[in-house]
Amino acid sequence: MSTLSVTNVSKQFPTRGEPLQVLRDVSLEMKAGENLAILGPSGCGKSTLLHLLGTLDAPTSGTIKLNDQDPFSLEESQLARFRNENIGFIFQEHHLLPQLSVLENVLVPAMATGTPSEELVQRAHDLINRVGLESRLSHRPAELSGGERERAAVARSLLHRPLLLLADEPTGNLDRTNAQQVAQLLLEIQQQEQTMLVVVTHNNELADQLQKQTTLDNGQLS
Amino acid sequence: MSRWRSITRAIPNLLTNVRGLVGMFRDRQARQFIARSLRHHWRINLAVALGVSAATAVLTGALLIGDSTRGSLRQLTLDRLGSIDEVLITDRFFRQEMAAQIASNEQFKANYRAAAPAILFPQGTVATVPENGSPARAGNVLVLGIESSFWELGSGPQAEKLTAEEGEIILNEPLARDLKAKVGSRVILRLPADQQVHADSPMGDKDNRVRSIPELTVSAIIPAEGLGQFSLRSSQGQPRNAYIALPTLQEELRQEEKVNAILVTGKSSNEPPTEEASQSLSSLLQPELEDYGLLIKPVSLDYQTDNGETRTVLSYFSLSSQRLMIDEKTEAVAQQAFSQVGGQAVLTYLANSMVKLTPKGSPAGDELVPYSLISAIDSQEQLGPLKDEAGQVIEDIEDGKVVINSWLAEDLKLSPGDHIRVTFFESETDYGESSAAEPVDLEVQAIVPLTEPDKPFGGRRPALFREPPTLVNDPDLTPEVPGVTDRRSINDWDLPFKLKHRIRGQDDDYWNHYRTTPKAFVSMKTGQELWSSRFGRVTSFRIPAAEGITAKSLGKQFVQQVQQSGEALGFEFIPVKRKALDASRGATPFDGLFLSLSFFVIAAGLMLVSLLFRLGVEQRANEIGTLLAVGTRRQQVAYLLVGEGIGVACLGALLGIAAGIGYAQLMLLGLRTWWIGAVVSPFLDFHWTVRSLMIGYGLGVLTSIITIAWSVSRTREASVRQLLSGRTSELSYQPPSQNKSKFTLITILLLSALVLATIAAIPSIATKLGSEGQAGAFLGAGALVLTALLIIIAGRLKRTSASETTLVRSPLLPRFAARNASRNAGRSTVTIGLVASACFLIASMSAFRLDPSQAGKGGFEMVARSSLPIYIDLNDQQQREEFFGDESQELSGTTIFPLRFQPGDDASCNNLYKARQPRVIGITPDMIAHFNTAEVPFSWAGSAAVGDQESNPWTLLATDSTSHAGTEEDPLPVVIDKNTAMYSLQLWGGVGQSYSVDYEDGRTIHFEVVGLLANSILQGSLLISEADFEHHYPDVSGYRYFLIDTGTKNSDQAAQVLENRFSDEGFDTRSTDELLASLLQVQNTYLSAFQSLGALGLLLGTFGLATVQLRNVLERRSELALMRSSGFARQRLATMVMLEHSILLLGGLATGIFASLVTVLPHWFSGGAAIPGTRLIIDLLVILVVGLLAGLAAVAATLRAPMISALRGD
Repeated sequence: MSTLSVTNVSKQFPTRGEPLQVLRDVSLEMKAGENLAILGPSGCGKSTLLHLLGTLDAPTSGTIKLNDQDPFSLEESQLARFRNENIGFIFQEHHLLPQLSVLENVLVPAMATGTPSEELVQRAHDLINRVGLESRLSHRPAELSGGERERAAVARSLLHRPLLLLADEPTGNLDRTNAQQVAQLLLEIQQQEQTMLVVVTHNNELADQLQKQTTLDNGQLS
Repeated sequence: MSRWRSITRAIPNLLTNVRGLVGMFRDRQARQFIARSLRHHWRINLAVALGVSAATAVLTGALLIGDSTRGSLRQLTLDRLGSIDEVLITDRFFRQEMAAQIASNEQFKANYRAAAPAILFPQGTVATVPENGSPARAGNVLVLGIESSFWELGSGPQAEKLTAEEGEIILNEPLARDLKAKVGSRVILRLPADQQVHADSPMGDKDNRVRSIPELTVSAIIPAEGLGQFSLRSSQGQPRNAYIALPTLQEELRQEEKVNAILVTGKSSNEPPTEEASQSLSSLLQPELEDYGLLIKPVSLDYQTDNGETRTVLSYFSLSSQRLMIDEKTEAVAQQAFSQVGGQAVLTYLANSMVKLTPKGSPAGDELVPYSLISAIDSQEQLGPLKDEAGQVIEDIEDGKVVINSWLAEDLKLSPGDHIRVTFFESETDYGESSAAEPVDLEVQAIVPLTEPDKPFGGRRPALFREPPTLVNDPDLTPEVPGVTDRRSINDWDLPFKLKHRIRGQDDDYWNHYRTTPKAFVSMKTGQELWSSRFGRVTSFRIPAAEGITAKSLGKQFVQQVQQSGEALGFEFIPVKRKALDASRGATPFDGLFLSLSFFVIAAGLMLVSLLFRLGVEQRANEIGTLLAVGTRRQQVAYLLVGEGIGVACLGALLGIAAGIGYAQLMLLGLRTWWIGAVVSPFLDFHWTVRSLMIGYGLGVLTSIITIAWSVSRTREASVRQLLSGRTSELSYQPPSQNKSKFTLITILLLSALVLATIAAIPSIATKLGSEGQAGAFLGAGALVLTALLIIIAGRLKRTSASETTLVRSPLLPRFAARNASRNAGRSTVTIGLVASACFLIASMSAFRLDPSQAGKGGFEMVARSSLPIYIDLNDQQQREEFFGDESQELSGTTIFPLRFQPGDDASCNNLYKARQPRVIGITPDMIAHFNTAEVPFSWAGSAAVGDQESNPWTLLATDSTSHAGTEEDPLPVVIDKNTAMYSLQLWGGVGQSYSVDYEDGRTIHFEVVGLLANSILQGSLLISEADFEHHYPDVSGYRYFLIDTGTKNSDQAAQVLENRFSDEGFDTRSTDELLASLLQVQNTYLSAFQSLGALGLLLGTFGLATVQLRNVLERRSELALMRSSGFARQRLATMVMLEHSILLLGGLATGIFASLVTVLPHWFSGGAAIPGTRLIIDLLVILVVGLLAGLAAVAATLRAPMISALRGD
């Protein structure tokens, strides 16, 4: 069973004066199929924690282990591979590549390591069907609505069946109806895929739908 | 129709927009907005301004290069002429005091400062006297016999007094360098001897035409500056000059107190005197008869009566020329001066033999009268000389008849009605050999009595008559010929030909009693038909003596008549400074040439402006969207953007002016150093005019504003929503456009390009276009092909962008990169266009590099020129053996074509001055015939040949013995090298075009182009038939230009033999390989210069490419961050960005090469271009490497891009 272990993680950023301490001794544990909402006011360090979990940034101190593996001990190319295989991202800004179709956008994680295999292409089709975009397969992001874009981003994040799914305000740019639909979809698929899901949000409505909620305040989880 | 309507609407729209812009600038708020925007967005505005400055710099630089060429040529002219404005140079010596006479004239003083006498020999030869080894020689040296005051006429270091004492000579550096001479070296000076009788006439001396002045010591070597590079020819090449003290030269030439030139200085060293002053200058000269080489002497036929009284039968004055024949102009003046006082023309010629004929027309026996003089004369009452026994004048000697004197009648036992056969030489020689003319049979019309003198001639004493001599007892009917008329016996005659006939006792008796008294007389008409030549038609004029008439008064009368007639008879001043300054305006308009060839660089600069400005606008899409959202009209927003663009353009163009000056300086540095081959001599300095700066600035600003306005108009397509979201365009599906009209446009563009390229390639048409026109047609074709290709590429990119093809297939990264590159089709197309423009220029210029070809050399291994004419037939085996002895073996198998040569301006590409009087070469019938069967004929770019002539277009010059009049109605057929026709003489009409040359003596000779040679060794000259040459350049004798085919022989050995044997004549051979290479080097060097322009374009292209890629990376940093977050390794992303970059770069290269191929192809077919070799491959590899290196900037930016902030959208 996959696990996420965060132990005493701190993160500080250098400034002109004293270093800015964003996270202080953050620790948390998760298992496959679990989901967690991290709440907190703007600037409390939610996204920073998410980026650390996603290996986009390294902690100043402490350890983050996924399935008992410390990704920060890997060199850059191995880390990229690790991220590609184990972590999925959903951003508030969907970050779809405008020049690619929906299918291609979903396949982007596969493209990171080479040409997508038939199996992955089939999975991409499945995911697109699951997010309800089968009729938009060859459409470009510009031709999609905000909700559709976000759903495409959800599908993309799940291509490699990641152990850990990280979502940063996934419904932040959506209206209530769309936000609900996307949240529902996200949780459904997360359960189906039995992945760990961490959602950073200050949307209590979304947070309430998740199994656990925790608040980040003054750099510490409460 | 709708297109036409849109065009007709465009004009009022433009006016409306201009009014709108002006209105906006009046608005203070708008001005403030623009000023703040300029400041706020200074980075992108600076980038745009740099683009504008690049375009302006190239524009201004091209104009400044033109200024510099003209300015430098002008400066060179002023430097080498100093304050000398006018030069009188004659082909004979005249009194030195004429210089002082003219200088003392008040009218002269009004416009001029001084007149300095000098001796000038433009074709001297200087050879060193070696201590050991062989001497070094230099031909075609300008030898100046000068007074020390000469140096005061110049400026710079030569203004110091340099004096060559007796036995000394001063050399300029180019001459000293060629001779390897130092101060103290000893040299021999060889000059043309003052031979009066024309060498090409039978009486002309061919053997002693060189005057050597041995053992001159080099007293100084002066730099080729100021008068140290004095030259009468307009050429930027450094002349080789030798200076010698005037008295020394006069003494050596035995011309004491005589000179052949006067140098006149004006009052300003920078500006020549007015044209009116120049025109009146010649009239201020006061030549005397002897200065014209003429002589009037009194003649009287006297006898002494028994009581010792001297009685005169006839007295008259005889006008004769030192040159034996009186030229046609002098004859005309003499006719005008003396016809009213009974002047009578005489033409006396030497008959080699006269024999009596039988009634059947065969010689009656072996008896012949050798070497007799026959006069052609029309008798008149006063002077006779032919009167019958009744004393009646025999006015008309009928055609085919002859009047003989009684001595001849007795000697050959002739009576009226008998016939005699007269043999004589042709009046002009071939290769210096007198050839026998067709004998003429004449019927004896009458016999005139001859009185035998009581005492024969003795020494200088004339014969004494006791009986009255008859009017035919006149030896002065024959002009004086030194070496003949002054000899005691016929056997003592010093003639340029061998006497073949036996001199009998009675012949010597006749000589003793009658000397040069003619034995026979024909009418002037008959005589001139038989014996006139290009040197003249008469040998003397007889003017009856009268009360008060003296030789002096007749001389004055003649001189007055010269002035009244408007003829100068050689005493014409050449306004050298004015003509050289005119010529310094240049044959090739460098500004135009550089402008047309900079077209692509300017276009690249403007594309960069468009690209950068659009990037700037896109960067500010949000701001524009906000303005629109708050209710500002689109047009108003456009005006604000264009207004900002105007500010940027004005500032950028200012920068461009400065950069243009630097660019011009750099190009000039190139032309002085590594492109020296294009201009021969490193004389180019920087010159500028306000006009060029203003034009450069104005054009730079205007073109940039138009580009910016166009760029702004493109942003109108974006919706407010798009703009507010920070995008001016958004990728979305676009239905396939109706490609029919686009296809039609591309077809039209490509077809037009092919037509233009073909026009530029077909020599006969291209020549008509002129150098700029041809360059324009070629580059226009290139521009059209590029445009068509870019339209195709833009369409292709849009299709790729909208393509539904999946990235699922391999190879993924290239496909991904291609998709990325196509994402902003306009931006990518412009980037490809930028690279393609530079690549086109570099690739197409490579194709025009030419190497010497066999056809360019016409099969000749060597070409030679001599300082002094050579008179022998170098192909005649007997003459070769006589001249070369055993060394003639070295010439076996060698064919030499001696050609007539009239010195003149070098009209080849080597001369930047405009050739006013190009040198002329007379092509001999032998050479024309040679090309009937020549293995390697010259290559022709075009000719008027039809039918059989096409196999040998030289036959267009082959005329029968008659020559052309050289008038507009009957021009001389001329063959010219195409490059000479196009670039130097600007004869853009090609074959069939007329061309005229004005000479100082007032003649204008008209030519008509009948053939154009292609890239030949004969560049720089007008090639006409020998017959036309002899007719129109009668004073040129012998041969001075030689084409040499050594066959299989070693050409070096042949060259050595020829140069040694003709060292006195300054025979100088040159390998045709070397000559042609030096001529083609000009073109090749220009191409190098223009390729450098391509390199500049490449620099702009690379800058654009790098900018676009950087911009792409910045614009897509969130996407790239997403990809990294999705597991893309940095390296993989970097590879993808590099691939994108490479696609644009390779696309640009391929487009440029393809456009170049299409445009150059017609030139390949026409032989005007060659397939470029490794050089082009190297150039393209350099472009590729430079381009790829530029891509590294984008790659570095990709690698450096912060992922998290990008994902956050910071």
